[in-house]
Amino acid sequence: MRLTTLLVVLLLGLVAASLALGDISLSWRDLLETLSGSPDATPQNAMIVFDLRLPRLLLALLVGAALATAGTIMLAVMRNPLAEPGVLGINSGAAAAVMAVIVLMPRPPVVLLPIAGFVGAVVMAAAVYLLAWRNGTSSLRIILIGIGLGALASAITTFLSAFGEIGDVQRAMIWLAGSVYEADMVKVRLLFFWLILPMAFAWISSRELDVIRFGDNSARSLGQPVDLVRGLMIVLCTLISGAAVAAAGLIGFVGLVAPHIASRLVGPSHARIFPVAALSGAILVMASDLLGRLALAPVQLPAGIVTALIGAPFFAYLLWGRQHARG
Amino acid sequence: MSAKLAGQQVSIAYGEQRIVENLDLIVPQRRFTALVGPNGSGKSTILRALAGLMAPTKGTILLDGRSIDILSTKEMAKRVGVLLQGPVAPEGLTVRDLVKQGRYPHRSLFGRWSAEHEAACEDAMMLTGTTTLADTPLERLSGGQRQRAWIAMTLAQQGEVLLLDEPTTYLDLAHQIELMNLITKLVRDHGKTVIAVLHDLNQAARYAEHIVMLKGGKITAAGRPEHVISEAAIADVFGVHSVIIRDPVAGTPLCVPL
Repeated sequence: MRLTTLLVVLLLGLVAASLALGDISLSWRDLLETLSGSPDATPQNAMIVFDLRLPRLLLALLVGAALATAGTIMLAVMRNPLAEPGVLGINSGAAAAVMAVIVLMPRPPVVLLPIAGFVGAVVMAAAVYLLAWRNGTSSLRIILIGIGLGALASAITTFLSAFGEIGDVQRAMIWLAGSVYEADMVKVRLLFFWLILPMAFAWISSRELDVIRFGDNSARSLGQPVDLVRGLMIVLCTLISGAAVAAAGLIGFVGLVAPHIASRLVGPSHARIFPVAALSGAILVMASDLLGRLALAPVQLPAGIVTALIGAPFFAYLLWGRQHARG
Repeated sequence: MSAKLAGQQVSIAYGEQRIVENLDLIVPQRRFTALVGPNGSGKSTILRALAGLMAPTKGTILLDGRSIDILSTKEMAKRVGVLLQGPVAPEGLTVRDLVKQGRYPHRSLFGRWSAEHEAACEDAMMLTGTTTLADTPLERLSGGQRQRAWIAMTLAQQGEVLLLDEPTTYLDLAHQIELMNLITKLVRDHGKTVIAVLHDLNQAARYAEHIVMLKGGKITAAGRPEHVISEAAIADVFGVHSVIIRDPVAGTPLCVPL
């Protein structure tokens, strides 16, 4: 409980910092005045806070929580410490679809990109699951087929980018780099309402994840319909991470790192892992976006690049610590 | 002596490879039954089929005289507890957390943890002597303690039947004896039907009341230890020449290889 409080405080601190800091930094007093709607607040500050920084902040929060939740599901269902939503081909599918739309379509409307990303993610996940089905599925088969199909989709992306118009390809690369740059309240609301049901359902199913993690035979002997539960969990994971990718492009490492952080902090029960993982994921993406905005200002680094920069060494540290704890 | 579990004309195959063919098997109620036989004789496969973890390609498994096909996975788990070889648990899981999972088949999605669940877990830990270890993570237990914790989980399921696949493997002698005594207690005092795959013939002969001897997926003999364990049977099934003497302590047959 103390830990959750600490994470919430950290998150709120980040919220305040993200609202105040930037090209035009607000003093704490300005920020408070703007937020409380006091008559002393300037309309300029109100615009910066409410129209520019708030949607971006909320989008980062939602995307981080979503990726962490999807990662937690995958970790339990696949029983592999390296499993993350990308294993289902969600990232590579979204990338191929977005690249195809941008390169092959003359002047695609901007709304089409997230839709293409989501559809690409869902189609890939479905293909991986169906190809892995042989009188039931197995986690290992899903992982192997996911890697295979993922490589195929990446090849298609590379092929398209090699022959596409340079400007188009660059546009696609920027979209794919993963950022919350183009946030607005419509996007935030849409993502929120999209995520709320699957994320709640995932949390309610904590006990199922606690059991499926023991392995197919153990779970089945405890009375779990393993194939059904795994199928449902993969659907949830696809809905959640597909939407996150559609909203923000490819933000790596969060789905992998956040669940590990959470299970280190609160132990193996999923009812406790989920909220902590979601908070950690939100903090990670928000911090990455803030850092990306400030580090090389006025140049803005996409959050996806920063999460990888922070995430990779942190992950190495996690694994290192674990090995030493065991040895 | 009525049959708790039975196999009727059961055939089991992994893909093209046939492991068991036309097997008729009876597991007597409220007895300790041991499945023995050389490696590859199909012991573990038969145990999995009895547990409903593997569907036979032909034939039926009966629980109390009715096919287990009509039981849902959950119904089955309420009546039959299974412990396979080398189960794995996530890091940091305590004995209590593990034993609680045994209540899974008794809970619905929104079912709350109740006094009844708590009592079942306490009983299971008491029976297996793991109460004092309740808050210890599994990775910090010895092999014998860990095995007892897993058995406690299957006991928390409160089924009438317990299936154990080579439960004594990797345990030292003291822990093996402890485990055998636990099984005896479960059968005698708690009315459980226990079926275990065992490698040690003498252990099976001493503790089990019913032995099923297998070779190449077929039953070569079944019955009380003194009827099943014979010099001819050991030579035929294991290809080992031996002398059978009377165990000076328990009076059960004791196989001494030549």
